[in-house]
Amino acid sequence: MGQVELLQVSKRYGDSVAVESVTLGIEDHEFIVLLGPSGCGKSTLLKMIAGLEEISDGEIYIDGRLVNYVKPGDRNVAMVFQNYALYPHMTVFENIAFPLKMTGVAKAETRERVLRAANALGLETLLDRRPEQLSGGQRQRVALGRSIVREPAVFLMDEPLSNLDAQLRVQTREELLRLHARLQRTTIYVTHDQIEAMTMGQRIVVMRGGVVQQVGPPQQVYDEPVNTFVAAFLGSPRINLHAASLDRSGDDLAFRHGAISIPLPQRLGRLARAGASAAEVALGIRPEDTHVMLGASEATADQVTLPATVSLVEPVGSDLFISATTGDLAWTARAEARLPVRPGQQISLRLDLQRAHLFGAEGRNLSHPG
Amino acid sequence: MAIETEFAELRSAEAVTSDRTAKASRGLGGSLYLVATYGVLILAAFIALVPFLYVISTSFKDTVALFKYPPEWIPSEPTLINFQELVQDYPFLRWTLNSFIVASTVTVIKVIIDAMAGYAFAKMTFPGKDALFLVVLMTLMVPFAATLIPLFIIVRDLHLTNTYVGLILPALASPIGIFMMRQFIETLPTDLENAARLDGCSEFQIFRRVILPLVRPGLVVLGVFTFMTQWTSYLWPLVIGTKEEMFTLTVGVQSLRSLFTVNWGVLSAGAVLSMLPLVLVFLFLQRYFIAGSIAGALKE
Repeated sequence: MGQVELLQVSKRYGDSVAVESVTLGIEDHEFIVLLGPSGCGKSTLLKMIAGLEEISDGEIYIDGRLVNYVKPGDRNVAMVFQNYALYPHMTVFENIAFPLKMTGVAKAETRERVLRAANALGLETLLDRRPEQLSGGQRQRVALGRSIVREPAVFLMDEPLSNLDAQLRVQTREELLRLHARLQRTTIYVTHDQIEAMTMGQRIVVMRGGVVQQVGPPQQVYDEPVNTFVAAFLGSPRINLHAASLDRSGDDLAFRHGAISIPLPQRLGRLARAGASAAEVALGIRPEDTHVMLGASEATADQVTLPATVSLVEPVGSDLFISATTGDLAWTARAEARLPVRPGQQISLRLDLQRAHLFGAEGRNLSHPG
Repeated sequence: MAIETEFAELRSAEAVTSDRTAKASRGLGGSLYLVATYGVLILAAFIALVPFLYVISTSFKDTVALFKYPPEWIPSEPTLINFQELVQDYPFLRWTLNSFIVASTVTVIKVIIDAMAGYAFAKMTFPGKDALFLVVLMTLMVPFAATLIPLFIIVRDLHLTNTYVGLILPALASPIGIFMMRQFIETLPTDLENAARLDGCSEFQIFRRVILPLVRPGLVVLGVFTFMTQWTSYLWPLVIGTKEEMFTLTVGVQSLRSLFTVNWGVLSAGAVLSMLPLVLVFLFLQRYFIAGSIAGALKE
């Protein structure tokens, strides 16, 4: 109950392509997150699964049944919309009961199921109110109630938390996860928020320009991004990503940007020799692998130390985000919250190259080709 | 009919709302501005009301009082004789019934048709939608005077002169209501229909259960406009009705003027009585009417 399979699904509007040849299998009970920037096609893909957008090409199966030509109401899916899409002229009870009413469920059973859903979401006391009398969080719960009352095979959620304030968003995120754990229903969740994706998804699907870039468990996608786009999209602050040429003089390879030379450790050197036919590559190191050193200490074989000047210090409570420059290379480092650093200060940056990524032609990750 | 009037009324409703955006600054300049604004408005209201007040006053005067000089604004001996004469000597009740049948039938059918067409143009996708809507809008530009004669010939050839169908049918095909309902429905978020679609609604159920209740103010505004326009419609009923019992109020009241004499008292009584339903409709539905006429401007 709740397997979804997409086979080469595409959506075109005239000449422009919104979704291109997406093939994806979603397991029963899975919580999968479609992640990407605005306009990447994630919401379009979700609407195609729901049946709200026609498919230009490809096939969609839900529980083994081809649903390309099945009406949205007959696909056994329920959707939570970004703006909740509650019916303003109906009470909370009527809103939650509406899908049951439309499918001809008997009144007594409707009442029982609505009350059960309302209890699960803490809406018992609000059943007589209209949406305009509810807070954002309450509306969100009513929208959830309307989708769970049908007991569908698949939940589709289109950025359901984006209209909530930061605190409520975290709280609702946890509630959604608890709900998923309890109901064990397949959930396809669309967001542009990487934190939501990382914390909620069992797998995430990163999309860009209608094309799936990478599919995998969140940590894996974070640790092994297949290209510069995924590397840059996941992670806050952004990964340090610098284009440079490969210096092949001598035995070891070095990454050269103007006067700055960073010798590559053997692992990356091998990859560069094998994969980067072009001289141009990009080096990516996450801020947490870029360490700020105030005193002298010995670097290991996989580490490189660069002198740098601090340009900006951003305390976020638990950490410090330190922006620094070496020549015209800008770095961001994540440092311990109480490190005594101020703008203009000369520091050393230690790059942990063991965890660095080398990107070759078209931004492909040579370390993790995917 | 009287599409021009209908459109002018819509425009004036818009003008009133845009006037409100003019903000009075504080202080002496602000006070003067307010005095001037209200002065102009009171003057305009006075100029607009005087003829009505005079007609009402005239309807309660007998023949002697009518020609007194200086004229009396409030008759010293008010009388109901004009009303009595109107009802006894002329088929005034029949005319009222005719007007009521025509105006209410047109209103009901037109509100339904226009809401459906408005929904289709606002929310559905079908080939040639934009072109078709353009054609609908273009028909707004055609003055009624230009279609009057061809329309009359068609209706005559269909043997519909002096019938209710002949009075009602042409009035149903007016584009302004379609345009208005499309504008109303377009402001509703598409996700509402999508939610209804996922909840198992057919296209008609979406229209009936989700869209219609949400555009109720729009429906009322359209209904009131249509009823008012039909109630005051003159040219088409004049052309299509030749028998006295098929006159509507406007045509009937006008027929009270004979060739050489005009009984101003009876004529005024007819005018007052024919105005009455409109005033009542407006008063009862005022709340919706005002909310509806500004609803388009207040997108969420």
